[in-house]
Amino acid sequence: MITVNTRILKAEFEYFTPNTIKEVLHLLDQYGSDANVIAGGTDLLVRMKNEVISPSHLINIMKISEMSFIKAEEGWLRIGAATKWHEVVEFCAKDRKYTALYEASCSLGKVQVRNMATIGGNLCTASPAADSAPALLVFNSRVKLTSAQGERIINLEDFFKGVNLTAMAPNEIMTEIQIPSINNGMGSAFMKITRVGADISKISCAVALERQGDICASCKIAMGAVAPVPMKIDQANKIVIGKKVDASLVEEMEKKVSEEINPITDIRSTAEYRRKTAAILLKDVFWKAWHRAGGDK
Amino acid sequence: MMKRKMVNFKVNGELHEVLVESNALLVNVLREELGLTGTKYSCGTGQCGSCTVLVNGKPALSCLMLAVAVDGADIVTIEGLAKPDGSLEPVQEAFLDHSAIQCGFCTPGMVIMGRDLLNKNSNPSESEIQEHIKGTLCRCTGYTSIVRAIKSCGK
Repeated sequence: MITVNTRILKAEFEYFTPNTIKEVLHLLDQYGSDANVIAGGTDLLVRMKNEVISPSHLINIMKISEMSFIKAEEGWLRIGAATKWHEVVEFCAKDRKYTALYEASCSLGKVQVRNMATIGGNLCTASPAADSAPALLVFNSRVKLTSAQGERIINLEDFFKGVNLTAMAPNEIMTEIQIPSINNGMGSAFMKITRVGADISKISCAVALERQGDICASCKIAMGAVAPVPMKIDQANKIVIGKKVDASLVEEMEKKVSEEINPITDIRSTAEYRRKTAAILLKDVFWKAWHRAGGDK
Repeated sequence: MMKRKMVNFKVNGELHEVLVESNALLVNVLREELGLTGTKYSCGTGQCGSCTVLVNGKPALSCLMLAVAVDGADIVTIEGLAKPDGSLEPVQEAFLDHSAIQCGFCTPGMVIMGRDLLNKNSNPSESEIQEHIKGTLCRCTGYTSIVRAIKSCGK
C-alpha cells in the first residue's frame, strides 16, 4: 500500500449519523455499495486516506445505543457490534472465563485504539491478522447480520471470505457477536507475535480446550495472519483430542499445524518464518490453555 | 456537493461551534480552526500517537476522528492540562524535571497518556507505564526519561 497524503482526508462524502439500526438499514438500502458504515474509524479512515476505498456516503453507527452492549443471558454472551474494545477488556477482566478473548482484547492495538475501535469493526474489516478473530473462533462464536429484509445468524468461520471480504451483503450490517457460554473447566489462551508492541501481528494463535485429568477432551485452535482469512485449524487439533497429552504428542500437533496453514510472504514476515513460528506459538499457547484448564491461572 | 455541518463541542472547558466539511479531521480543526497547535500531526495513520487528545475523558487519536463525529463531545488537549492560572500540571513538571523532552514532538501525546494512566493507577510500575505508552512513539528514542518522569508522579 502506497501512502498518499495522510494529513488530510481528500475524499468527499455525505455523512449520516443515524440513531437507530432501522435508519441505518434504510440508508444502506438507498445507497448500497456506495455507502460505508463507519464505527471507530481506526481502519476505515486509514484506508480512505490511502485512497484504497472512496465511499460517497459514510454512515456513522456510534450514536446507536442499541448496538453497544454486553449481555450474558440464556447460554450466550452477546456483544453489540459497536461495542468499543475498552469495554470488552473491562468486561473480560471481571469475568475471566473468556481468557483467550481477554488476552486478545488487551493486546489489540493500543490504549487509544481500544478507546475508539469496535468489536464489529475488527471483524468487518476482515483482516487476516484481526486480533479478536482467533479468540472468537475457538469459542465457536457467531455473528448476527441484519438487513431491511430480516436477520440471519452465521458462524464466524463462514463470515470471512478473503482479505477484506466478508459474507455480508451491501445492504447488511453486523449488529451482534454471540459467544456460547464457557463451561467450567475450559482453559483458553491467546498469544501473538509482533515486531514492536503496538504493531499488527505477524502471526497469532488462540486455543480453547477441555481436559479430563491428562486426557484432552476437546481442543480448538485458530490462527491469524497465516492464510487469507483468520483460520480455524481442523486437522492438527485432532491429534490431541481424546488422548493422553504429553510433550511428544504436542510436538506432533506442532508439525501438523505448520503444514496445515497457508501463509504468505509480506512486509511483516516471510511464509517460511510463519510456518516455523506457528509451531512454536501453538506449543506455547496450547500449554498455557492446558494448565489453565487444570486450574492454574 | 459536500455539505458543511455545524458541530458543537467543548474544548478545554470552552464551548465551540464550528462549521466543518464532513471530511475535516479533528486534529486539523483543533490546530487550524481553534489555533490549538499543541496537538501534533505526525503519521496520520494511527501508529504514532502524537495527535492523542482526551475525548470524553479517554485518550483517542484526533488524526483518525472526523470532526463531525465529535459533535457533543468533551475534548481536552495538551493546552487544557495546565491549571487555569497557567501553572503546569504534575506530569508536565515531571517531564521538565527529568529532561524527558528532546525534539518535543511526541511530548503532548506522552503527557496525556501519562496523565491518563495516573488517573486510573496512582502508582504505576515501570512495565505498566511502558504498556500504556507503547502506542505513542518517540523517534528521539528518549523512552527511559519519559518512563522515569511518569513514574516520579506515582504515590
